[in-house]
Amino acid sequence: MKSTIQDQYSDAVLRRAFLSRSSVGIGYLAAMNLFGVTKQSLAAPTGGIAPALAGPEAPPHYPPRVKRVIFLYMAGGPSHLETFDFKPQLNALDGQLMPPSFTQGQPIAQLQGAELKVQGHLTQFGKYGESGMWISDFLPHHQKIANKICVLRSMVTEQINHDPAHTFMNTGTAISGRPALGSWLTYGLGSESENLPGFVVMTSVGGRNPQPIAARQWSAGFLPSRYQGVEFNSGHEPVNYLANPAGTTAAMQSTLIDTIRELDYHRNQGLRDSEAETRIAAYELASRMQASVPELVDMSDEPEHILDMYGARPGDGSFASNCLLARRLAERGVRFIQLYHRGWDHHGDLVKHMHTCCGLTDQPTSALVLDLEQRGMLDDTLIVWGGEFGRTPMFQGKGGPGRDHHIKGFSMWMAGGGIKRGFTYGETDELGYNATVDRTHVRDLHATILQQLGIDHQRLTFRHQGLDMRLTGVEPAHVLRGILQ
Amino acid sequence: MIANFSALKFSSICLGINLCLAFPVCFGAAAEVDFLREVRPLLSQHCFACHGPDANTRQADLRIDQPESFISRQPGDPKAVVPHSPEQSELIRRILATDGDEVMPPQDAKNPLSDEEQQVLVRWVQQGAAWQESWAYVAPKRSSPTLPTPAENAPQARNWIDAYIAEVLRERGFHMSSRADTVTLLRRISFDLLGLPPSLDDVRRFSDGDVERRIDTYVEELLATPEFGERLASYWLDLVRYADTVGYHGDQDHNISPYRDFVIDSFNDNKPFDQFTIEQIAGDLLPNPSDEQLIATGYNRLLQTSHEGGVQPEEYLAIYAADRVRNLSAVWMGATVGCAQCHDHKYDPYTAKDFYALAAFFADIDEAQHFKVGGNSIPTNRPPESAFLDRRDKQLLEFRKRQILNLNRHSRGSSQSSSKDRDSSVDLHTHTDKSPTTDSAYLRELMEEADAIRNSARACMITVSIAPRTIRVLPRGNWLDHSGPVVVPAIPEFLGSLSKPVQRLSRLDLAKWLVDHEQGNGYFTARVMVNRLWMLMFGQGLSRSVDDFGGQGQPPSHPDLLDRLAIEFVDSGWDVKHMLRLIASSAAYRQSSLETQWHRLHDPNNVLLARQNRYRISAEMIRDTALVCGGLLVREVGGPSAKPYQPPGYYRHLNFPTREYESSSDHQQWRRGVYTHWQRQFLHPMLRAFDAPTREECTAQRNASNTPLAALVWLNDPSLVEAAVGLAHRVIGREGKDDTRISYMFSIATSRLPDNQETISLLALLDSARQEFETKPYAADTLVSTGISGSMRRGVTHATGTIHSADTAKAQGDRYERKVNNAEWAAWTQVARAILNLSETYNRN
Repeated sequence: MKSTIQDQYSDAVLRRAFLSRSSVGIGYLAAMNLFGVTKQSLAAPTGGIAPALAGPEAPPHYPPRVKRVIFLYMAGGPSHLETFDFKPQLNALDGQLMPPSFTQGQPIAQLQGAELKVQGHLTQFGKYGESGMWISDFLPHHQKIANKICVLRSMVTEQINHDPAHTFMNTGTAISGRPALGSWLTYGLGSESENLPGFVVMTSVGGRNPQPIAARQWSAGFLPSRYQGVEFNSGHEPVNYLANPAGTTAAMQSTLIDTIRELDYHRNQGLRDSEAETRIAAYELASRMQASVPELVDMSDEPEHILDMYGARPGDGSFASNCLLARRLAERGVRFIQLYHRGWDHHGDLVKHMHTCCGLTDQPTSALVLDLEQRGMLDDTLIVWGGEFGRTPMFQGKGGPGRDHHIKGFSMWMAGGGIKRGFTYGETDELGYNATVDRTHVRDLHATILQQLGIDHQRLTFRHQGLDMRLTGVEPAHVLRGILQ
Repeated sequence: MIANFSALKFSSICLGINLCLAFPVCFGAAAEVDFLREVRPLLSQHCFACHGPDANTRQADLRIDQPESFISRQPGDPKAVVPHSPEQSELIRRILATDGDEVMPPQDAKNPLSDEEQQVLVRWVQQGAAWQESWAYVAPKRSSPTLPTPAENAPQARNWIDAYIAEVLRERGFHMSSRADTVTLLRRISFDLLGLPPSLDDVRRFSDGDVERRIDTYVEELLATPEFGERLASYWLDLVRYADTVGYHGDQDHNISPYRDFVIDSFNDNKPFDQFTIEQIAGDLLPNPSDEQLIATGYNRLLQTSHEGGVQPEEYLAIYAADRVRNLSAVWMGATVGCAQCHDHKYDPYTAKDFYALAAFFADIDEAQHFKVGGNSIPTNRPPESAFLDRRDKQLLEFRKRQILNLNRHSRGSSQSSSKDRDSSVDLHTHTDKSPTTDSAYLRELMEEADAIRNSARACMITVSIAPRTIRVLPRGNWLDHSGPVVVPAIPEFLGSLSKPVQRLSRLDLAKWLVDHEQGNGYFTARVMVNRLWMLMFGQGLSRSVDDFGGQGQPPSHPDLLDRLAIEFVDSGWDVKHMLRLIASSAAYRQSSLETQWHRLHDPNNVLLARQNRYRISAEMIRDTALVCGGLLVREVGGPSAKPYQPPGYYRHLNFPTREYESSSDHQQWRRGVYTHWQRQFLHPMLRAFDAPTREECTAQRNASNTPLAALVWLNDPSLVEAAVGLAHRVIGREGKDDTRISYMFSIATSRLPDNQETISLLALLDSARQEFETKPYAADTLVSTGISGSMRRGVTHATGTIHSADTAKAQGDRYERKVNNAEWAAWTQVARAILNLSETYNRN
């Protein structure tokens, strides 16, 4: 009996030696082979880290125009009146009382109870590109991509304070606990990457004292947790818990994981619990992530001229580096990439702060568009740029002149597959207060993004508390046909 | 698991129920349709949005949520449905129409009926279009089934629960599974009642003899341990959305931890659930409320709040009011009254007026102060607050005060002994008595300690009643629109009314109504709660929709049983422990969870309960299990929230103020998961990876996901690695060969001995780890120094060193001192990590 155990033991050691020579992935398949698992039973848990789970009405409902979305989220509320929305009348009325017809009965944030005066543009505007798109002098690099982007000047939202407004922009409602756009997309479409999550979030460092941003903004809400956004950090550990424990090596970790799989598999033979197989696959994907993420964030293979184009210094956590990382994530099949840059909340000293924010984001943003284009990826990528709201035509003076939060009209832009290029959509009134032409609600933006990915926003549903919930809710939402090619 | 289930479109859920519940009865020509299970859900899902309770969106003036509006009950009264005559029924003609303009539901609603669903409606009309009230609004009915005969259907039946379950199975020609093996049962019961695995000692003590009776004793023991309250509290805190931070914007800490301890204590005291309810909603309105009853009213302050610059108080007060209605209705009514904020409910009879009338009950809560005085500090200000001593500290303080008094008397020549006081009923588990040195030094020490205890009082937000704000119906939920009528507190109209001729109704009236089984909603509340208690013991409720007992909710699989349980709950005096004991005593609960071919084929979702369920334990239980295996878990009830290790910089996106997370540097590090600091915006990533909710809203059932991120936590989270170091430490000092020690280690985590193959695998791992660490002493030192327990084990040196394990192994009481080789320790740590990563370690089955 004893010799039998000894024999079996040697056997196991030999097998371990074999497995540890092979790469993790092959080791897994080999181990599964040893255990007699067929390819077919492996099929269920593969399909990326977040396989789609959208039920019988699963998308695509239409032929998709794009494969992925990169959302450049300018948190804090960039001023539309200092970026894309030029209003000569605003300069004409500079310093005068704001006509009450605009503001009567309207929600107001920090200017509650204050005298409301018009604040003229705090920069110059020019017309750029073939269409003569208005772009301010704060954005010289945007001026150069005027032929590539489609500016939406008639955005409206419903929430006037940062936190709920972020929640509204990301989930379509201010009520907590609902899934973010990126979660809906990975739920509907899954990830195209075998090694990376389908929904990745990065928040850049740099700039002024920023407004907080909550993990709620990339939460899967009531969707299964696997669809939650995974935050990538710029520090030594790009994803939480990615590094092996101090004192252990990758080889030891892989031996450990092999043992866990072996034991789990052995135990499950009698049980045939499908959840256990999913768990085995989860360990496999975890170890693939451990291998692939460091490779992803290591930008040493990027040539100098690309780093210069973005203005990226690898590892600095800047928006520039994150834009470059976004391209690398896009290349690797990540479905939804969201980059937050904070610090756009300019109640005062707007000029100074715009210089800071635009200085950090303008060049890398245009570099991302141009880099994707030169790689032929702009055609199957959708880029969205914008914040949770805009800023008032009225003066606010915390320090030098600034502007308060504004929700009745502001600007965003989109670019990429299926979107008109060098096109301006919608208008606000003569003072940039109310969206008047082609008013575009956040819901419409969401419906359009889904449409470009081949999803009918009315048919991407998840049953929660007795209701078939959807990103766009119950109010009517309209795809922005006018901006589609 | 449940998420996958609910991801399916409703139609397929209905179909699933048909197949598994109604088969084979339903699939014949004369198959009788089941109105509540088959027909009503279809009408609700496909018709009510436009022909239901909401008058504002009702189309063609046709209402089909009330039978009198659309079913003809006498000749010459043509309505949309003519019983027994599908061909004369407009409803049937329209659902079968092929013309795009005629068909119902309309094409643009994108909510079509499948062929099978159409046929269900046709058959229903053929069979006479019988109507029943939705199960959710019919009060629980008493029933008393007899145990079915022949006995082979339920040979092991132990109480009336089994009668209901066996009866449904008998109708399907099947039976319950046999009893699970004893170890599985002990683990199941221990996880379900304590959230912890059984100790090896318990496994030994309860495995022999008459198993059923042993298990009964085990249940009794567990119900009496303090960990029980912590387990139940973990769940209750999800429901009421308890968290340590304000949630919105700066997400600063707020003072609330005494409320968490109140919940734990209440479950441990087995406080009747009706009293528990009243104290939370309206403890401040009780005559001479006790400290505990005031702490309980922290419930009303648990919601997310904001003092972000630029918030408009009126808007936020409206947000808070809505939040409260959502939570109250979800927790106690299993209702989604939140849907009626902007319009009448689409599927249930709640009107928008009901929503605001419920909100009006809470209009007296003093809660606007923070808009002015909030402040970006940690913690922030959320008056009104009050400081309270923990009940354990209070007892200790009383004891010390009496000691001081005695000592003073003694020094004045009194001969009265102090031993009498020491014999008092004061609970002093964890506090060792002071040994008198000299009287005056001792006295000073006592007085200092008494002061320290007094200073340990913790602030807690409480409810203070002030003159109520005016509450109006907000048209479409718009707080800027003041055109809606003013409402006063009232319960939803269709549920009756509370008359109180002179005075305005109060929160106390509402709370009492919720638990009043004679005049109020008591039986309904009880049914919601027992369904959830059932879920805690089976993983799923008898109605799967533990959060929606409305028209869109799933009817219970065993309605009579659910009703009977609700009645039992009320009759028992709302005795939570009694209900759990009752469930744990049933043969149904004690069944094996193994799936057979029959289960897979006929009841894959285990609706019929012909077996128990297998599922991964919760985030907190995973943490607690690893810590207890590692000999690190601190068993202490209550106190401030604890901060386990967390990845550096995890709070970097927080601001107002910016903050660094400082993980606990003492025994707080190893407290149970229920005490973890609950940061709403950045919930601890370990908890998040295992599906713990952020507690922004009520969570009645968590997902149980299986993700690579969770695997990374299991592998690499320092808390779990440290637990493995601790587990290794528990075995390296033991005598015996490697395989014996592996068996010991394995059984700590799984309550069973490993088989040959398992031993071999682990020996191979040990062997390869030994080879690694023997040549890398520094790596070994590093691994075994994971966490702060390493430095707390005094005397650790490189390669070989002396270890006093008093700090970490205290829980086991094994004080020992010996030579330990760190390379050996590290190698065993790898084995422990494997064991603490096994699916089996964290499965309850």
